[in-house]
Amino acid sequence: MKKSAFLAGLMAAVVLVACLPRVAAGQIMLFDNKLRVKGSVYEFGTYMPKLAKEDEQYTNNDWGLMRTKGTLELLYNAYEQGDTSINLFGFYQWWHESVPDFDAAAHRSMTSRDRHHYQGPYERADDWINETYIDAYTGPWNIRVGKQIVFWSEVEMVRTIDRINPLDLRYTTPGIDPFDEMKLGLWMVRGFYTTDLPGQIVFEGIWTPDFQRVRTPMEGTLLGSNPAPPIVMGKQAGKIVPFGQNAAVDDMFRRDAPRISLHNTTFAFRTKGTSDLPGNYTLDWSLSWYHGMNTTPVARHGKVGYPSTLNLNTDTLNGYLNNLAISRVFGGQNLPSLNHNSFWTYKYFDALGVSGQSFIPWLKGVLRGEVSYEMGVPENTAFTKEIDKNPSYSKVITGTTERNQVNVGITFDRPLRWEWLQNQTWMASSGIIDTTLGWYAQRRQGNITHIRRTFGYYERSQSNWTLTMRANMWHSELFPVVRFLYNAQNWGYAVAALRYQPGKHMRYEVGYTYFFAHNPWDAPEAYCENKDFAYFRIGYEF
Amino acid sequence: MKKNAALLPYLIIVALCCSLPCRAAEVIFPTPSYAGTELAKVKEWEKTWAGKKVTTENVDQVKDFLHEAVYKAMKDPTIFGAKSLWFDIVAYRPYELSKGLMEATKKYAPESKLDAKESLVNYGNVAGYPFPQPRTGAEMAWNFDSNNRGDSSYLFHGGTVVDCRTGHEREAGHLRWELSWVGRYDVQPIPKIPESENTRGMARSFFQRHTAPPDFADTTMLEIRYLDNREEDLWVYTAMFRRVRRYATSQRTDTIDGTDMIYDDQEGWYTHPTRNTYVAKGRADLLVGRHQDPKNVQREHGQGFWNGFQRERVNNWVVEVVNKDPSYIYSKQIWYLDPETWQMNFKVMYNRQGELWKMYELTYNEVTSVGGFKVSIPSSEHIVDFIRRHGSPGNREIKGVGLDISHKQFTTKALQEHTY
Repeated sequence: MKKSAFLAGLMAAVVLVACLPRVAAGQIMLFDNKLRVKGSVYEFGTYMPKLAKEDEQYTNNDWGLMRTKGTLELLYNAYEQGDTSINLFGFYQWWHESVPDFDAAAHRSMTSRDRHHYQGPYERADDWINETYIDAYTGPWNIRVGKQIVFWSEVEMVRTIDRINPLDLRYTTPGIDPFDEMKLGLWMVRGFYTTDLPGQIVFEGIWTPDFQRVRTPMEGTLLGSNPAPPIVMGKQAGKIVPFGQNAAVDDMFRRDAPRISLHNTTFAFRTKGTSDLPGNYTLDWSLSWYHGMNTTPVARHGKVGYPSTLNLNTDTLNGYLNNLAISRVFGGQNLPSLNHNSFWTYKYFDALGVSGQSFIPWLKGVLRGEVSYEMGVPENTAFTKEIDKNPSYSKVITGTTERNQVNVGITFDRPLRWEWLQNQTWMASSGIIDTTLGWYAQRRQGNITHIRRTFGYYERSQSNWTLTMRANMWHSELFPVVRFLYNAQNWGYAVAALRYQPGKHMRYEVGYTYFFAHNPWDAPEAYCENKDFAYFRIGYEF
Repeated sequence: MKKNAALLPYLIIVALCCSLPCRAAEVIFPTPSYAGTELAKVKEWEKTWAGKKVTTENVDQVKDFLHEAVYKAMKDPTIFGAKSLWFDIVAYRPYELSKGLMEATKKYAPESKLDAKESLVNYGNVAGYPFPQPRTGAEMAWNFDSNNRGDSSYLFHGGTVVDCRTGHEREAGHLRWELSWVGRYDVQPIPKIPESENTRGMARSFFQRHTAPPDFADTTMLEIRYLDNREEDLWVYTAMFRRVRRYATSQRTDTIDGTDMIYDDQEGWYTHPTRNTYVAKGRADLLVGRHQDPKNVQREHGQGFWNGFQRERVNNWVVEVVNKDPSYIYSKQIWYLDPETWQMNFKVMYNRQGELWKMYELTYNEVTSVGGFKVSIPSSEHIVDFIRRHGSPGNREIKGVGLDISHKQFTTKALQEHTY
């Protein structure tokens, strides 16, 4: 019904645009230039040629994604008088992920409910609204009320201070796709106050009673894990049976996620400015504080249960997961039900952030950096390696705790002129290669041997090096891009892509992503070591 | 008698000596392109040509008044994807200069001089054209730089990126606000915005919001040029990623969104004059567009060179320009500057192999400012690439000149306001 309503709206808008187009300043404008209409339709597909044998049975044709997505962006100038103006902005989206429709193995790898959530904007009722808000300006004030997406970051490939909106990672990989395509909108009030103080200082505040959990790749999809553990006994032995442990955990996370409520308030504040420093340096800086819930929950106190693989009590978290695993291995006809148990809770933490960017004349480039100090990050605990020898992903939970951690991201951008490229007349390139070198690190404080983590277990620090190079050809119609990430734990990935935008509307992109890892349990990206993919994206923008 | 005869030369010498300082300080302004017999000759020529349409077929008859780059395009229209190229010839008309410009030039020019590094002494505290009777290329470049185009302006600039081989076209557009913080002569405060309101020492700034192509809409640029010789600051708010990014100045030689224009090429030359060396190359009597009706320009799909320029004869100043950076994208540029307003009527750029690479031809139109004075503002333009056979024709819709633009517009905060 919602899908139909959205489609009807989209169709109506398209008809309206088609019937009454007025192009002003290069844009589609309606109602006496009061309404701006933009939008796009895209098809995005990934093909995975290097799947491991254990993954092959969950796909018939190796297509990972085949996603059709439409967006409609409306901006209405409702009021304008002097320095007061009110605009209404809406960014609406719809998509359909069709691999489960034409791949029977993929279809069977998910429960029908999970498949429904996965194939379209149906995880939450308002998923079709990416953003919709009132944007009011008067004097030094700017207030935005509604569902919004916030960008606080200076660097691109990791998130340090940019944490207002959680991510939807079901269809994309961080660092490879831009974050703006992954962010989940939140209903919020956001205000800015522009001062007359030196340094163009602006104060910003955010209050939201809304919460969304991070959406990780779903079990049964090619970016997620296979339904596990596999069935080894009974009639269904060796067959695809959905609802493994990760699907169960995802289900529980969804059920236990807080709803929109004043009790779930998140606050965030930021001050930013531009200051002139000695030596003719101009520094854009920001200071921020975030107080909100972690988007991944921890075990609920009193519901963990006895931390042993022998615990099969489905009214406890450990017991339920053990019971589910054993039921699957032995081919149980009825997998255990969650009943009305709530095993997980989302807890608050705080983060202080600082960011800056400046052009460095003697380096002829721009240096950007940000640091986030996260305090009281909720964590599950587990026995140490010596006591519990199970791998990180199957350790029983012993309780919860909190830890502090520091995240750092530094990038240096320098356009490099490649004269040979510029001299190749047929390539019609400016010869400029936009080059970005980055270093991102995380250090966890306190005892880490008791912290339960599926990825990065026992690793106190992570250090990543990145390199992105982007050239332009055919008068900026064609953009070759290469991107590398290398982690000190010897995992990483490389992406090579070509983006082609020949005219005003059509957009094409093809690429290949190669993953490598020494230990797949170092990070979600390392876990993709056998999930290299070729991709294409074809779109129409209006 | 002999005594008188002997005294006479002394008197003449004394009189000459007394008058010399006055001559040195005398400022002749305005400086029309033609006067006296030269003007009469031009008017005579116009009796034959004014009102005529020049096409590929008859262009040879006016070849002497066309730059070789324009002539080359006219003779072989297929280079730029056209079946035929044409322009109109109109009568020469001197510009109507504003009272503020006249007064500022007469007030400050007598004291104008360049220092050893060819920087304008007292830059930031003076206005008008510093060297109405220039002797060197550097003086001409500073005259060009002193043209403030009404001290502030707001316009829409629409353009098309044309691949003349394939006929592919891509539209682009932006709204642009410009403000001169110093060297002001038309709009109060003159000659500069007080330092209390310009604590960062800005000389010139522009704020540019893109409207097309669709995925580029709301992308916004802020560029600040400073009084001192430091590098310009450029911020870009990329709507697609919703981030304000500082840009490195080495990106100034990158092309702007696939056009044939680099950042430095804006308005002819948008960067500090001291980045180049200049050599005066005399005058060139050429047909250029100084009173252009933007509605008169037209082109076919796939054509990267405008038809319909309204050209008039002007005796341009010619300056050879070489960047001080030995690896600069252009080995040299030749600027053709208007003798009345010092605007750049066109320029040609040579690649590092010394070949003719691009031509940037700007036409202008006289518009009436908010304050009622006349200003010559770029109207239609094309920048074409002879080697890659590519063109970027554009048109400007002037929304206001001599406006009172809020200084807050030129802050990084403003980049994100009203963007979605």
